[in-house]
Amino acid sequence: MLEHLNTAPAKPGRVVIIGAGGFVGGAIRRRLEEEGVATLALTRRELDLLQPGAARKLAALLRPTDSVVMVSAIAPAKTTPLLVQNLTMAEAVCGALAGAGVAHLVYISSDAVYADDQNPVTEQSYCAPSTLHGMMHAARELMLKSAIAAPIAMLRPTLIYGAADPHNGYGPNRFRRQAAKGEPIAIFGDGDEQRDHVLVEDVAALAALILARRSRGTLNAATGVATSFHDIAHMMAKQFDNRIAVQSVPRPGPRPHLAHRFFDITNCLKAFPGFRYTALAEGLVRAGRSA
Amino acid sequence: MTAPVIGFAGMTHLGINSAAAAAAHGYPTVWFDPDRTLVGRLESGEFPVVEPGLMELAKVHRERISFTSDAMALRRCAVVYIACDVPTDERGDSDLSSVRRLIDTVSAGLARDAVLVVLCQVPPGFTRALDWPVAQRYYQVETLVFGRAVERALHPERFIVGCADPAIPLPGPYRGFLEAFGCPVLPMRYESAELAKIAINCCLVASVTVANTLAGLSEHIGADWNEIVPALCLDRRIGHHAYLAPGLGLAGGNLERDMATVLRLAGETGAETGLIRAFMANSRHRRDWALRTLHRELLTANPDSVVAVLGLAYKENTDSTRNSPSLALIRHLKPWRLRIHDPVVPARAADHPRAVACASPLEAAAQADALVVMTPWPEYKGLAPAELARAMRGRIIVDPYRVLDTGAVAAAGFSYFTLGVSPSRAARKAPHA
Repeated sequence: MLEHLNTAPAKPGRVVIIGAGGFVGGAIRRRLEEEGVATLALTRRELDLLQPGAARKLAALLRPTDSVVMVSAIAPAKTTPLLVQNLTMAEAVCGALAGAGVAHLVYISSDAVYADDQNPVTEQSYCAPSTLHGMMHAARELMLKSAIAAPIAMLRPTLIYGAADPHNGYGPNRFRRQAAKGEPIAIFGDGDEQRDHVLVEDVAALAALILARRSRGTLNAATGVATSFHDIAHMMAKQFDNRIAVQSVPRPGPRPHLAHRFFDITNCLKAFPGFRYTALAEGLVRAGRSA
Repeated sequence: MTAPVIGFAGMTHLGINSAAAAAAHGYPTVWFDPDRTLVGRLESGEFPVVEPGLMELAKVHRERISFTSDAMALRRCAVVYIACDVPTDERGDSDLSSVRRLIDTVSAGLARDAVLVVLCQVPPGFTRALDWPVAQRYYQVETLVFGRAVERALHPERFIVGCADPAIPLPGPYRGFLEAFGCPVLPMRYESAELAKIAINCCLVASVTVANTLAGLSEHIGADWNEIVPALCLDRRIGHHAYLAPGLGLAGGNLERDMATVLRLAGETGAETGLIRAFMANSRHRRDWALRTLHRELLTANPDSVVAVLGLAYKENTDSTRNSPSLALIRHLKPWRLRIHDPVVPARAADHPRAVACASPLEAAAQADALVVMTPWPEYKGLAPAELARAMRGRIIVDPYRVLDTGAVAAAGFSYFTLGVSPSRAARKAPHA
């Protein structure tokens, strides 16, 4: 649940984006700049959070009136060394923000923090990560909350898709790449597992809304509509005039324990009544055009 | 023999209905409230609560009713009930300070042998801790149901009485008064009676939660919960009076209060109460059913929508808006224009910047894109969907309680959304009402 500290939307003074060079960070930067919000975009080139002195360097860049978006992560954090590195990065941010003091912090987290058996997922669902990646985000949320006095909003996106996604995980992005190369779109088994997929531009729009209302609390970024991988594959094939086949391939492992995941997005409807998620079919077309 | 005088302190929904029932059973009654203005209004026949039959009952038995704001007037009472409201905070926790204040006020004026009965909802342990002789101190479970308060007060199923020692007979005047109602009297220790009230509400909440959970599932799998309910009611283990009608979560505040009390007691004692948390989570989810439906069908796509909202009260036949699902919905419809009607509650209760108060449901429907029936008032049952279709701009009806004639709604070309059945089925074919 979010609580808006600004009763009406107001343009933040300046937004410092930590991790602005990434897939999500870049989208947030573009969105804010389109809205005329001043940004300080920090990529790994300007600020490597794993380097000694990173906290001090970041603190020197911050002003008390800044809003900060922390989106930098080495993801997915599948191994213990990656988990530790991600926590080291968060430690630097905690050190900088605790010392410098800022007006507002938005942390881009993940729905991986929730227990696998939570269905439908809401912001009140139990956080009990089953993966190192989920534990990394859950730990970072706690680190930030315990170190920083400023109001903090946790934005927890579900599976994000978009043209610039550098990952090639099972789902819309991989399907598009397969189709673009003229290869069949490969789904595991009958592809009946249903998931919620959110367009990266929608995640950026939500981050901008949270900044404008100076919200604190937690919000999931999910559309409320779960779609099977089978249907996504066929939506993608349609974009290629159905010249591309959808092919069932054996699952790489046992059928996942989490067969389906649904989200109840009532809290988003309440927090931002006028916000509209992009429907998956429409989002896939938009992502395809930009790719 | 002259009937003893029965006093009621706290002219609340509970106090007024209980006092009227006592007068109707032939007992002289004293209706006390420290609020002089309220007592003046009652004396002039202006009652602050709406209940079918209440005004008539009080009028018929007027000669046995004495109104007062002077606590000393309770001195002639053999039994005095404490019947004030117990406010709750947003978590459902009770603020008992008003009960304690009223008891202090009342006890100063009571006769030495008067029996004090706590009738309002208090947590286990409250009555035993009171400073009044145990032989004259009791707790009695109230079973008020808004909209049916008179019927329930006149003809209770039983009286549950909390005592210091249930083996000791109740004092004569109190026992005689209870026996006049012709129902079983169940004495038990204070804590048992206080928990019995909570237990009753937990059972009701369990039924409501089962209904809401499976009604929600029905909406997804093509079943119709309304077809299932009669089958359950005919099962002797469930029964005809079970709370199986799907609704918009728990409303009214009293059920939530008891859930909060159980959770608090569990927190203090280590008892396992995961079930109660599940009840609360389901209630929160179902409360927003209409909001989700409106967004999915209309609001997200059409920012200029006009929504007609029929009903503000938390249920029919009452003017109470406490925890009203309608007001909860309206609170989250700030960007949209609303047209509002309720037969009793004034539109200002909605506190919405773009709401228009309407004198009739048809006026509210004028040029609306969607119509939502949030309180199942009897007068809404008579609305003709064909007339609604002529008045409205859009063709969406959200009717959680299935108030309207579903066949006529479908014939008038509306998309129809109700609890317990999938919307496509309701739109194509009228379900059996």
